[in-house]
Amino acid sequence: MAKSFQPVQSTWCPGCGDFGVLAALKRAAANQKVPQHELTVVGGIGCSGGIHNFLELNGIHALHGRLLAQAVGIKLANPQLTVVAAGGDGDGYAIGMGHFMHAFKKNVSILYVVMNNETYGLTKGQASPTSVVGFEGNVEPPFDAVLAALSVRADNFIARTFSGDPKTMTKILEEALAFNRAGRGFAFVEDLSPCVTYNDTFKLWREKILDISTLPGYDPTDRATVFRLCTETMEKGRIPIGVMHRPAEASTAPSSLELKLLPDRIGPARADIGLEPNLPDYRKLLQAIG
Amino acid sequence: MSISSAPPTPAVRSPASSNPVHELDDVSVMIGGQGGDGTLTVSDLLGRYFRTQGLYIYTSRTVLSRIRGGHADASVRASRNPIAAVKPTVDLILAFDQEAAEIGRAELSSEGWILYDSSVFQLNDPRAVGFPFATLVGGAIGQPIYKNTAAYGAISILMGFDPGRTRKVIEDRFQRRGGEALTKNLRALELGQTAAKDAGITARWNILPGAAHDLVLTTGNQAAALGFVVGGGRFFAGYPITPATEVMEYLMRYLPAYHGVVRQAEDELAAINMVIGAAYAGARAITSTSGPGLSLMTEGIGHAGAAEIPLVVVDCQRVGPSTGQPTRHEQSDLTHLVHLGHGEYPRFILSPENPEDAFYLAAESLNLAERWRLPVILLLDQALSQNTTTSPRFDPSKVKIDRSGLWTPEELARRAEYKTYEFSDSGRSRYMPPGTPGIWGEVTGNEHDEWGHVSVNPVNRRKMMAKRMGKLTAARSELPPARIYGSDQARLGLIGFGSTGGPVREAQQLLAAQGIPSRYLQLRTLWPLPAHELAPFLDSVEIAHVVEHNYTGQLAGLLREVLPQYHAKLRSLVKYDGFTFRAPEIVRSITEGK
Repeated sequence: MAKSFQPVQSTWCPGCGDFGVLAALKRAAANQKVPQHELTVVGGIGCSGGIHNFLELNGIHALHGRLLAQAVGIKLANPQLTVVAAGGDGDGYAIGMGHFMHAFKKNVSILYVVMNNETYGLTKGQASPTSVVGFEGNVEPPFDAVLAALSVRADNFIARTFSGDPKTMTKILEEALAFNRAGRGFAFVEDLSPCVTYNDTFKLWREKILDISTLPGYDPTDRATVFRLCTETMEKGRIPIGVMHRPAEASTAPSSLELKLLPDRIGPARADIGLEPNLPDYRKLLQAIG
Repeated sequence: MSISSAPPTPAVRSPASSNPVHELDDVSVMIGGQGGDGTLTVSDLLGRYFRTQGLYIYTSRTVLSRIRGGHADASVRASRNPIAAVKPTVDLILAFDQEAAEIGRAELSSEGWILYDSSVFQLNDPRAVGFPFATLVGGAIGQPIYKNTAAYGAISILMGFDPGRTRKVIEDRFQRRGGEALTKNLRALELGQTAAKDAGITARWNILPGAAHDLVLTTGNQAAALGFVVGGGRFFAGYPITPATEVMEYLMRYLPAYHGVVRQAEDELAAINMVIGAAYAGARAITSTSGPGLSLMTEGIGHAGAAEIPLVVVDCQRVGPSTGQPTRHEQSDLTHLVHLGHGEYPRFILSPENPEDAFYLAAESLNLAERWRLPVILLLDQALSQNTTTSPRFDPSKVKIDRSGLWTPEELARRAEYKTYEFSDSGRSRYMPPGTPGIWGEVTGNEHDEWGHVSVNPVNRRKMMAKRMGKLTAARSELPPARIYGSDQARLGLIGFGSTGGPVREAQQLLAAQGIPSRYLQLRTLWPLPAHELAPFLDSVEIAHVVEHNYTGQLAGLLREVLPQYHAKLRSLVKYDGFTFRAPEIVRSITEGK
């Protein structure tokens, strides 16, 4: 067998939160027994988007903010693949905001991991859509991706993790991958991943995070309750983490777009496009033209 | 049923039997009215009738960018000879509103007539004859919407149609909807025919039959969509935009039967990136758009150029920049496409001349994109996209599926390495989409080495640029060749692309009738510009008029850039008012310099 792509040494700063995601993603994929050749990672632009360069699998480096559109295209072309899109908060919530919101609505079974460090690290520390008021002169309130995600009434898996807790992160990424691989729809995991150089929040976030599942009334199938628990937690100056939405077990009707469109899971990339087998159908199609 | 309630408006020159009958081998009817008047139905019925007579057809429409209302008109041309342009004169105007009569009058031929709905307006014109179509049909059937079929009935008398075939057209058209629709349309047809006869109208023209049979009547957009299906295109993502939307709509209808996927994305940025993802996954992937969408897709197409991702973008050109004139014709995206995006990367721009060509080039564009791993633009223009033309039936067995751009798992099993960007003499590196056991690869828009590792090494950069850009030269012999029409002795040259070939070839006939032989080069590959075809052509003529629909003479400018030695021979002949060339305009420009 031909030798394939070999990963390179990571270019991240020592101590970067993204290392936690890299390790957890590897473990989660291994635990879920995702075949290496079927795993495709789509990277965004920014430090975190380079993650595919450090993994021994299929990778594609997308354009800034466009990784979700590319990931959707991959999965709809070949639903057999396990597709992970990974990028940062600037990539996903600023330039990529349009595609981000539509990803929930489309509900294609891909995993989107956003490594949120509340800054533009690669361009040296500017404010991002999630930056707190006061960071680098920021006067706009931070965007909260989990609340936005909860606002789309689609059967998505939604969670928030913290790079300082790789064990929980691994567990949640595993659940997300299993959700995708069962063809149940879009999985969104925002990981709080501090930038040790421009916004080192490890200590602060460790103090502030609060596991949402410990709160009274928590029910991940009830988006209104989780939304309220999240806003109440945030009003107390804490950051809610954990599984924010987990749709009730699917009915027999497929909820993901790829299974609605491609019930036989063959798809455009694996269709036989040879002329011979299709010729009778093509002739019929062309004969019907006026 | 009495039709005496529908007297014709008195006309100075009556279309009654005392007038001579004119023979016509090339006829044009313009139908105009308010949106919702059913002008397109009349155009369709006339087209169907003329086809039963073995004639070639060309239809066009002028609509405003709104859902309903406002003036819209359609024109049908039928000829014993192949045609691909609007007839310079109109023989008959059917006017459901005053605007139609006013717009059409300037182009009305000397033997022409205006038929109009006198229940809507009055027309004081010796060439006009009015019938109250709406009240006539409203009274008898109860629904004035059938006025269009009644008008078709009146036209059938004026144009001397065969009564049996006239009726058959209605039956064929409305059979599928059945029952009431069919009965009422047949009733409306009779009302129109009787009204015309009662007014003393007899056949004014003898439309000569032709020998054009077993043809298809399609638009370039439909033909391209069909070509993509047969060429193995299985993924489409797009965003609605005039005049490109029909490509998406046809594929929505066709592709699900072939494991295909068609998605309407949230914007053109998403559309092109979904196409990129699908192409990366190994599907033959397509999008279609027009100027404003193309501007947004420019980012993604450049990415495909850098990352060597094969895809096809159909650009249905309209009047720009900005929103411009969404429903009007122009060919002004050319220089944008040649330089599309920041940085430098190779792209092919293919330019079909008519729907038939669009079918085969659409299929071939998928082969070329995959084999050379680059973006291919299939360049249409509004007239080619949306006007209908008769063509020989498309033959799927003439299409070739070339998958030489991909590895097979067996081939890779025998190789030591799989590099996504392996260097080669041609610049081509073969690809293996994700999903093959034991194989994986990296695709990136960062400058990269053969493996897809990010690289800033200057030696590698030079080699990678040469690899990619070299494809433009290496692929030359595989790209669609130009077509030359006319006399090889001619000293007068013409050059054009896209639907402009239709009026230009008609202009050649008019020139020949004046004793001026000419030679026309229809370019079918616009980038890389085929210097090897252009140079001998330009050597063979004294002067070459570059005929195109834009202000600056974009193709002429490219020719001067790539072939500066022919500068003195080139003349720019442009039109940019939203309408296609009429053949006599081209002739006048050449012979009178205006």
